[in-house]
Amino acid sequence: MKVEKTAVAGTLESSDAMVTVEPSKGGIEMELTSSVMNQYGRQIKAVVLETLEHLEVKDCKVTIVDKGALDCTLKARVECAVFRSCGKSDKNIPWGGAVR
Amino acid sequence: MSDYYVSKISGSDSRAMAQVDALLQKEGIKRDGNLDYTCAVYDSDYNVIATGSAFGNTLRCFAVSSEHQGEGLMNIMMSHLLEHEMSLGFSHVFVYTKTTAAKFFLDMGFYEIARVEGSFVFLENRRNGFKNYLSDLAEKAFADGVSGAVVMNANPFTKGHLYLVEKAASQCDHLHIFVVSEDKSVFPYKVRRMLVEKGTEALKNVTIHESGPYIISSATFPSYFLKDETDVMKKHALLDATVFTQIAKAMNIKIRFVGDEPFSAVTSVYNSVLSEQLPKAGIELEVIPRVEYNSKPISASDVRLAVKNEDWSFLENVLPPSTVSYLKSPEASCVIEAIKAQKNVVHH
Repeated sequence: MKVEKTAVAGTLESSDAMVTVEPSKGGIEMELTSSVMNQYGRQIKAVVLETLEHLEVKDCKVTIVDKGALDCTLKARVECAVFRSCGKSDKNIPWGGAVR
Repeated sequence: MSDYYVSKISGSDSRAMAQVDALLQKEGIKRDGNLDYTCAVYDSDYNVIATGSAFGNTLRCFAVSSEHQGEGLMNIMMSHLLEHEMSLGFSHVFVYTKTTAAKFFLDMGFYEIARVEGSFVFLENRRNGFKNYLSDLAEKAFADGVSGAVVMNANPFTKGHLYLVEKAASQCDHLHIFVVSEDKSVFPYKVRRMLVEKGTEALKNVTIHESGPYIISSATFPSYFLKDETDVMKKHALLDATVFTQIAKAMNIKIRFVGDEPFSAVTSVYNSVLSEQLPKAGIELEVIPRVEYNSKPISASDVRLAVKNEDWSFLENVLPPSTVSYLKSPEASCVIEAIKAQKNVVHH
């Protein structure tokens, strides 16, 4: 999938994360702010990168403001932000494919 | 806990607005005159317990009731406001806040741009936004010689601007002109910039830049575009001056030139703040007197008035040939229509 415009998903409330994706040319660029950076920073990065890889996003700038979201929440927020950025709607979301 | 909900307050909801004002007052904040969106968090009794507002791409006037602090209300509200900003197409968002409250915003993905000690802090939601802007500018800087800078809206470019640029260019080795790139004036940015470029073609040591979101934009300096009270204008000017000193450092700018300001209240406040602040950072401020026509200083406000009244003989005397020929060209017709449609064309 190709990130075509800036899109946001999620909130800043506790146990959630706000994920912003923006178009970019040179690969994946990540900006992470987290309330649990010291404990889970590496894990959050890994989950985000893995989700983007599943979605076959090669180039994007992704900004995450994490408030202690679980892995499944993070995954859902990243997926949603990417779908919004390329105009996917409920009809053409790749269930069972990129979304597992 | 989940009995709270957040929603927009309409301007006509005087009960909620009164509660917002009371909440802000407790925090020592006065509600800004120019806001285009205000939201509030309500408790189960429909009382306002937290509030925040937006103006264009900036967020401001935040307060949380002291009985409800520490419950994460600010985060609920910020999510709501960011969603609103996003729906307007603003993904680069700025926040004004008191120095004491800045740390809460750092936790919500905001980064500091500038701070006026003991007063307020200006933040943005990009980690390297300002740093990247500065390093882009630094590439266009000149290491040798004396560099100067002029910031102008040039709405439109007059002989007054030309005189200012010529004077400034003669007093330094390199002159950087920042044309205000915010599209809030009757002449669109593309036209204003084109007229500055054409008007200064003959000068070899002039470089033209766009001012971007950090110099006199509606983020740093909203009262430049919309009328506001004097102390508010001063605050905005102070912020703009603080940001400018950092830009000057990156670009090796030693002198800032401004036109003397007999008419516009906001620009004269701005000039006086610059004259206090810039010398502290080792930047000279040079005030250049206005050039006169018929013993009256030339001003872009008068030019717009003359366009409105189709006073071509006046225009030909106060505008450089490039601006006159633009105004007479077919492309200018929509701008001229827009000026004629405006009730007040004079800058406050």
